[in-house]
Amino acid sequence: MAASENHYAIETVSLTKIFPDWWGRAKVIAVEDLDLKIKHNEIYGFLGPNGSGKTTTLKMILNLLHPSKGATFVMGGIISDPKISARVGYLPEESYLYKYLTARETLDFYGRIFGLPGNIRRSRIETLLEMVGLSGMGNRQIGTFSKGMARRIGLAQALINDPDLLILDEPTSGMDPMGTRQMKDLFVELVKRGKTILLCSHLLADVEDVCDRIGILYGGRMQVEGTVKELLQQKNETQIRTGKLSVQALEKIKSIATSECDKVDVESPMDKLESFFVKIVAQARQEKQRTSGAETGTGISGFLAEKPVVRRDNVLDQLVTAKVQPEPPKESVVETTQAEKSKPAADDQLLRQLSQKSAELSPIQTPATDDVSEPGPKEKPDVKKNVLDELIGKKDTGKTEVTRPDDMEDTADA
Amino acid sequence: MRSVWAVARNTLAQAVRMKIAIVVFLLLIILLPLMSVVMGGDGTLLGKLQTFSSYGLGLIGFLLSILTIAISCFTLSNDLKRKHIYLVLTKPVQRFQLILGKLLGIFILNVTLLAIFGSVLYGCILFIPRLSDAPADQKIQVKYEFFTSRIGIKSELDIEALNQKAIEQFNTLKKNNQLPEGMSVTRILGELRSQEIMKAKSVSPGRIKQWDFENVNVKDPQDPNSAIFVRYKYETSAPTPDDQVYGMWRVGDIRQYEAGTGLLTTPIYSVERQEATKTMHEFPIPANAVSSDRYLAVAFFNNPAVNRTTIIPENVEILYKTGTFTGNYIRATLTILIQLIFLSVLGVALSTWLSFPVAILACLLVFFAGLTNGFITDSISGLGSGIGIIYSLTIKPLLWLIPQFDGAYNPNGYIIDGRTLRWTFLLTTAGITLFVKGLLAMLIGMFIFSRREIAKAVV
Repeated sequence: MAASENHYAIETVSLTKIFPDWWGRAKVIAVEDLDLKIKHNEIYGFLGPNGSGKTTTLKMILNLLHPSKGATFVMGGIISDPKISARVGYLPEESYLYKYLTARETLDFYGRIFGLPGNIRRSRIETLLEMVGLSGMGNRQIGTFSKGMARRIGLAQALINDPDLLILDEPTSGMDPMGTRQMKDLFVELVKRGKTILLCSHLLADVEDVCDRIGILYGGRMQVEGTVKELLQQKNETQIRTGKLSVQALEKIKSIATSECDKVDVESPMDKLESFFVKIVAQARQEKQRTSGAETGTGISGFLAEKPVVRRDNVLDQLVTAKVQPEPPKESVVETTQAEKSKPAADDQLLRQLSQKSAELSPIQTPATDDVSEPGPKEKPDVKKNVLDELIGKKDTGKTEVTRPDDMEDTADA
Repeated sequence: MRSVWAVARNTLAQAVRMKIAIVVFLLLIILLPLMSVVMGGDGTLLGKLQTFSSYGLGLIGFLLSILTIAISCFTLSNDLKRKHIYLVLTKPVQRFQLILGKLLGIFILNVTLLAIFGSVLYGCILFIPRLSDAPADQKIQVKYEFFTSRIGIKSELDIEALNQKAIEQFNTLKKNNQLPEGMSVTRILGELRSQEIMKAKSVSPGRIKQWDFENVNVKDPQDPNSAIFVRYKYETSAPTPDDQVYGMWRVGDIRQYEAGTGLLTTPIYSVERQEATKTMHEFPIPANAVSSDRYLAVAFFNNPAVNRTTIIPENVEILYKTGTFTGNYIRATLTILIQLIFLSVLGVALSTWLSFPVAILACLLVFFAGLTNGFITDSISGLGSGIGIIYSLTIKPLLWLIPQFDGAYNPNGYIIDGRTLRWTFLLTTAGITLFVKGLLAMLIGMFIFSRREIAKAVV
């Protein structure tokens, strides 16, 4: 990574795509003079209404379309170079998977294309199937999968080469809210592990939750670009979140607030529908109701904490298990949009504990720890962690979160 | 190359799971044994074997060709149409590797199916004589004329000399002012020429005609089991009773008669046969008839005592064994394989820029053109010879590009007549069909594919 530090993960130079009509006359200008610069280790949200040129841009980056003008560079090279494309994962806007292959064969096929040796390929396939919640359906043909399930396999194939750069086009389309949530958690997790993600979507909630920077495209031109915080923060309002307060305390706060400004609203916060839905499904699962569909399964925790094989060949997986460490109960957390650097610090501590072991395996991991501790836009990881904790807590009734990492280390040592 | 192998496996899986290969497999596995029972030919054991092996090989070649065309046109164009290719080409696979992978997959499928059905057909062919209750002489005939691999030598007419004769005769007629009126010079010459040829071929009653063969390389002439076959067909100037001809043949080193020493170092065999006109016939003689300088003469006597018409023995040829039936059969299946490889290359190359229906149509056209190559080439060159240089610069090279699956390139003929399909011929065919025509198609396909945009313009 040090070598590519000078470069952007993706860089386009005055990228232009003009679709000509039958006679060769310019018909549609899909993308015009686009200068996209995506840094390493960030999630970049690429937004825009239908037909704004998002997918066309992605296809040019991936060499599926040829630019009319300009150039694209990926990881400091061109994507048609196998060395570069070996480091890229791509999930297109629909799952263009071979319907006649089973889920397992699909992943095997893409694994082989990347030239992964057999044992690594097999262990990754199992891990990924488990991660996307389809481990029970590995031998079913893709043709029998629902759109969301195929989408999960699509995501798994994008991750099979452990890519440094992920290009995702509408990753959550067709996914149920549980899957959406898990996917978003995964993205944040991957970025913590040093990956870069280009997320192309028009589902604004998804983008807002996870992205570091966003760019909005319209008519093939970049309209606005910046960090989510920069673009969305309302500097002239303040929000205070606390646990349940007594009426007296509320009154006191109100009076303090009214002394500084006229507009004060006090109300109990609403659950987001997404969080609510996740909670209900998690309850149902705890009651062991049966489903023929995709399971939320072990999610990320399964991928990272329960597969020693993967952990051995990628120590980052160990680091990420820090995620399932218990956090302070969320009721006691006072969150404001401004001040909340405490959680990353807590994570950092755990990560360091873990990385003492992992450092022996591979020194490359050290920068990754730094990545996590970097004070970046960290609101989203926290939001996610709450939900993740809920999920884990309710799912694995036999274990508590605290014991899980220990279990994992035992197996790893053994 | 791992990625090429991955694509090849996927293509195989596609062919099998899409059931197209299964259908062809079932069709052949049912039809071949069924045909071996049902087919009778002309009632003789040899006829049955010839009919069955010809139809069997033809069916295998045809069905596998259709399968190859369908899969090769489908696999890449379907990837493009259904956008599977987005997920493949964005990974470390070069575009030419994708094409190579597809071709490798189809090749493996073809080799497998051809090996299976080649073996099934071979088994059936070997079993037919064993299960047959044909008389012993027919079984022996089959052994020498079918389960063998023979090389034939033809005695060509000296056309140049005959032309010369025709011209001389023309000049004589001209000198004597006997040229027919109202006929062009070319036509008169043509008539004279065909008269000469007919004269050279035909044997009127009471006359003898002799054919000389040199370089008859029979392996071991003194081996009592080694035989030479004389092959011919009778034409007659007028219909004979029962369409039968009574022929008297002498085979051997006839020069010994002329030497007049009265000493025969090699035997001269005399054969008398009563046979139907207008069909090919063969009779064997022991191989020791060949002289030490590998010369053999065949003479035909039109016995006026039994025949009243002029007899024209056509296509007189001698055949002798050079190899085994099995070796010949393997080369015949390899010929089919060459055809299949060419078609797969053509199909994939076409589908790099054509959609499935167009590609398969074009591919089928080329396939059928290849099956009737001789006919097409002859008829078009007949028409085109009038325009001389334009023809030889435009249509002729295009015609040359059409693959050849008929005539000498069709393996059936070799198997039916028990004729040797030479390795040199096989390799030359492979070289021209695959390494010139096929490679050209593949390179064009790869070039187009490496340049084209994979995604469609969607805005």
